[in-house]
Amino acid sequence: MIDTKAPNPNYRLLLHNDIKEINRLTGFIEAIGEEIGLTTSVTMSINLAIEEAVTNVILYAYPFGTDGLVYIDAFRHPSSIDFVVSDSGMPFDPTAAPEAKIDVPLEDRSIGGLGIHLVRRIMDSVTYRRSEGKNYFTMTKNI
Amino acid sequence: METYIEKIDGVTTVKFVGRLDTPAAQEVTQEIEPVMGDASGTIVLDCSEMTYISSSGLRIFLSLRKAAAEKGGKVIVRSISDDIRQVFMMTGFLNLFQIED
Repeated sequence: MIDTKAPNPNYRLLLHNDIKEINRLTGFIEAIGEEIGLTTSVTMSINLAIEEAVTNVILYAYPFGTDGLVYIDAFRHPSSIDFVVSDSGMPFDPTAAPEAKIDVPLEDRSIGGLGIHLVRRIMDSVTYRRSEGKNYFTMTKNI
Repeated sequence: METYIEKIDGVTTVKFVGRLDTPAAQEVTQEIEPVMGDASGTIVLDCSEMTYISSSGLRIFLSLRKAAAEKGGKVIVRSISDDIRQVFMMTGFLNLFQIED
C-alpha cells in the first residue's frame, strides 16, 4: 500500500528483495513503453534507471536475510511519466549521494556510484521523500 | 546472459551474449575471475551480442580495465550497440576504453 492520499498508479509491479527479481522488471517497463509509444532506446534507458534504483533497495534497504518488498509504480501524465520506487526498509535518500567523478583518469575512477549517476543522467528529475516508515524515490521522465 | 571465454595466441576474448544486468553481473563476476587474474595480455570484450548493460556490468568492465592497467595489459571493447555506446558516454567510459567496431 502506498500513500493513500496519492492517486492510484497507472502501472504497478511488486518485487521481493531478491536480486533475481530484476528479471521481471524488463517486461514491465517494455509493456509501459509500448503502450505509451516510446522508442526502444528510451524504453531501455528508463529500464536502466529503474533497475539501478530497484537494485539499491533489493541489496541494501532490508537487513541481510530478511524478506522485504519493493514497489514500482508508474504515473502517466500528459508530457511525462513518474516512476516511484518505494520500500519499507531503512531510510535512504539516493538524491543525497555525491556526484560520481567521471572525468578523472583511470586510476582515480571509483568502481561504485555509477548507478545513481545513470539515474540522474537518464531521468529529468529525481526526488526523495520519507513518509510513515517508507522510502519514496520518484524519477520523472519527460516524454 | 551467456559468457564465452577463449584464449588464443595470448589474446583473451570474452564474449557476452544477452543482457548484462545486475543478476547476470553477479554470475559473470565469478566466471571472469581467471581473466581478472591474468590481465597482463590483451583482453577483448566482444559486445556484438550484448543487448543491455547496467552499472553492475560497467563495474566488471572497469575492474578489468584497472587490473590490466596494473599488470601492463590492455582491454579492447569490440562492437557495442548504439544504445550501449550511449551508456558508455553517460558514464565517461568512452574515454577509458579502446573501442573497436
